[in-house]
Amino acid sequence: MTAVLKRWPALAAVGLVLAVWLSLSLAPDAPAGQATPEAPAVELPAELAGFRADAWFLPDDGMLGFVEVPGGPFTMGSDRAVDPLAFDIERWSPTQAQGRVDVPTFYIGRYEVTGAQYAVFVRESGHRVADQGALTGRPNFPVVSVAWTDALAYARWLEQALRASSVTPAPLARLLSDGWHVTLPTEAEWEKAARGTDGRIFPLGDAPRAERANYQGPGLTRVGAFECPECPYGLADMSGNAWEWTRSPYQAYPYDESDDAASLDADALWVMRGGSFSDGPQNIRAAVRGGADPGARRPFIGFRLALSR
Amino acid sequence: MAKRKDKQGPGGASPRQAPTGQAPPRPSSPRPASPGAVSPRAASPRTTTPSRNVLYLPLVLTGVIGVLAFLPRVQDNARLTLSFWGAVAVLLVWLAVLAARLKQRGEGREFTILLRQQHYIQACVQLSIYAYWGWYWRPVYEYAGLFLAQLAFAYAFDMLLAWSRRATYTLGFGPFPIVFSTNLFIWFKDDWFYLQFLMLAVGFLGKELVRWEREGRRVHIFNPSAFTLGLFSLVLIATGTTNLTWGPEIASTLTLAPHIYAYLFAVGLVCLYFFSITLVTGAAAAVLFGGSALYSAITGVPYFIDSDIPAAVFLGLHLLVTDPSTSPRTPPGKLVFGVLYGLGVLALYGMLGSAGVPTHYDKLLCVPLLNLSIRGIDAMVAKLKASGAWQGLRLEWAFSRPNLAYMALWVPFFLIMTAQGRTDGRHTGDSLPFWQEACEEGRATACERLLRLEATYCADASAWACNELGLAYTEGRLAAADAELATGYFSRACELRFQAACMNLLAGEGGNRSDPRVLDLRLLTREGGLNRMDDSEPEIYARACEHGWQFACNRVARSL
Repeated sequence: MTAVLKRWPALAAVGLVLAVWLSLSLAPDAPAGQATPEAPAVELPAELAGFRADAWFLPDDGMLGFVEVPGGPFTMGSDRAVDPLAFDIERWSPTQAQGRVDVPTFYIGRYEVTGAQYAVFVRESGHRVADQGALTGRPNFPVVSVAWTDALAYARWLEQALRASSVTPAPLARLLSDGWHVTLPTEAEWEKAARGTDGRIFPLGDAPRAERANYQGPGLTRVGAFECPECPYGLADMSGNAWEWTRSPYQAYPYDESDDAASLDADALWVMRGGSFSDGPQNIRAAVRGGADPGARRPFIGFRLALSR
Repeated sequence: MAKRKDKQGPGGASPRQAPTGQAPPRPSSPRPASPGAVSPRAASPRTTTPSRNVLYLPLVLTGVIGVLAFLPRVQDNARLTLSFWGAVAVLLVWLAVLAARLKQRGEGREFTILLRQQHYIQACVQLSIYAYWGWYWRPVYEYAGLFLAQLAFAYAFDMLLAWSRRATYTLGFGPFPIVFSTNLFIWFKDDWFYLQFLMLAVGFLGKELVRWEREGRRVHIFNPSAFTLGLFSLVLIATGTTNLTWGPEIASTLTLAPHIYAYLFAVGLVCLYFFSITLVTGAAAAVLFGGSALYSAITGVPYFIDSDIPAAVFLGLHLLVTDPSTSPRTPPGKLVFGVLYGLGVLALYGMLGSAGVPTHYDKLLCVPLLNLSIRGIDAMVAKLKASGAWQGLRLEWAFSRPNLAYMALWVPFFLIMTAQGRTDGRHTGDSLPFWQEACEEGRATACERLLRLEATYCADASAWACNELGLAYTEGRLAAADAELATGYFSRACELRFQAACMNLLAGEGGNRSDPRVLDLRLLTREGGLNRMDDSEPEIYARACEHGWQFACNRVARSL
């Protein structure tokens, strides 16, 4: 015992080393308040009306919410003579107000991606959440505060999940096996889905109607809360609720998807469409073009998915 | 305060120690005749009479920590505030237990005031380094309150430790160099600041408890700050928690101060002069400069990425490894000690780099081992002196020179290294195009270093570097292909508005690259840490051209 007591300094030193070791071993990967914020525990409802809890809370229909938009030409851009609210950047060219763009068949989400869908993605993929606003919304409201990169990451993850899962409806599984990809819509795809082929100004016609879209309002609403039987392809919230990221870099018209990589030296700016709950009629028109930094996470920017070849 | 001549000596060492008021017993080895004698110089000690009232001193110091806890810098972080209160609580409990024990036994405690030259000179030198460095890197000044708290903690802890074990505490400037030296190399981030207090505590415990017999005296084995720095470095590395400290930032921001090598050299001369440690510093520097030059000549790339001796290592070989109490006494021993430190840093830098561990621990890990080796070094020197070789090679002549003679060699050596551009100023390895070219030519470790450099720049928000990393991991050219890593780098670059990276992310494959933008160039041309943020665009492009960026040269040519 005496010998042990005589060695107490050495024992104390060893004890201290072990204490430090233990303390650091138990340390979380990233200290709180530092660069990498921890994602909060994601709480998901057991059920959500209109959505499938067993299928990543995607819409409960035969294509999990993807709606076909047949291929063919449509009118893109705005003619101020017809639409006095049009911005200059919607003009096709100095000599031409609008252009005709032939878009191959694609599928687009009936609704904007919801908070529940995004939360499943975060939970299952461990995707880093840079803005907690992406997880604090209600489960059937559009997810917002997501960057363009987050939206793309969600699309990539969902495609993998759909490919690997047995719950994926057969038509959708077939498309994926045929080489279709889950992604964001191009701005041409988005505009065609919003205004159809008749060149209308708003998705619901040539004039805005407060009962058909969430705009000039206090905040987000449930996806599909505003019914719009007049809207082409039965899509919801193409006007208002949340701005939607597209996979098109912002470039001057005329639109040409093949020149997307033409200006790599310019600062990145990506097109978003559709306006949000806080915008007025001018910004919820089908042809309006917003631009944002790909890293922007704002409480009025969300996205919807597309299936493209 | 009455003078005492019948008490224990400074530091309360064993009764075998010489009485205070006299010079401590000196080793039998030759002593330099220069003003910088090996022995610590001290004013005559003054000792108080034993009393329990002396406990008010650690109590007041504990109160100081409590007051400092209310600083906005501390209050801004709840965990930092808690660390302060934790330190206060530990000291108060210890104080209460000690007071109760002394009262029960009817004992008092006393302190001896002894101002040792090696403490206050080192502290002044260290303080001047903080002042100069902090002028160019403001977090140092913002850290002042935390320094004060650590000093208060160090004094209180040291007093309580001493009075728990014996009657006398030697009050002087001893804790200053320990706190300053520790903080020159590792700061724990605010969330983990309690470990900073713990690190100091371990340093003092090591000094107090880990002792051995050396030349007839019972003395501490380890340089206290080097001991705790080495120990904590080991644990941080072993547990993969090196991100809890600002170590890399400390190591890299020293060079924000212009001419930092010259500055360290100049203030280092003070230590070299007073403590006769020129042989340690000079030998270590010679090995490091020589090793770097040799490696560079063989491989075609620098050993240390962007310097011949990293500034933090240069600092270490002036202030960390040169504690006269824990280094050899004899000139040949000091020479061997310095050489071993230089070799140790070279070896550790290579090993840590290969293991993927931050390399700034190179200067810290070997010091405790070297401290442990000094008895062996002294014994080896004694043996060598007794041998015929010593006389045959006339080594006595070489090692009997006074310290000033060694300094007379060290000064021109440093000046020559500086004139050759091997200290301050631009270095070959500062140029990223140099590493790109070296990698393409397959020079040793060049690709690995290129990746490491790009990772550093990417972490500092160079979108171009992030995109290049994404491409490297997509193409599997510089490193094994890793799609997840590549996506992460492309995402970061894209969010930093680098369009090529966004296109790469969208396509899910590489292929898109573009030249660095102005912001990238401000980072890529900073040469070890210089602030280029306020430089004009033409200046940035001109500097980039000097670094070997051809597109920048073209742009400069077009603007003429």
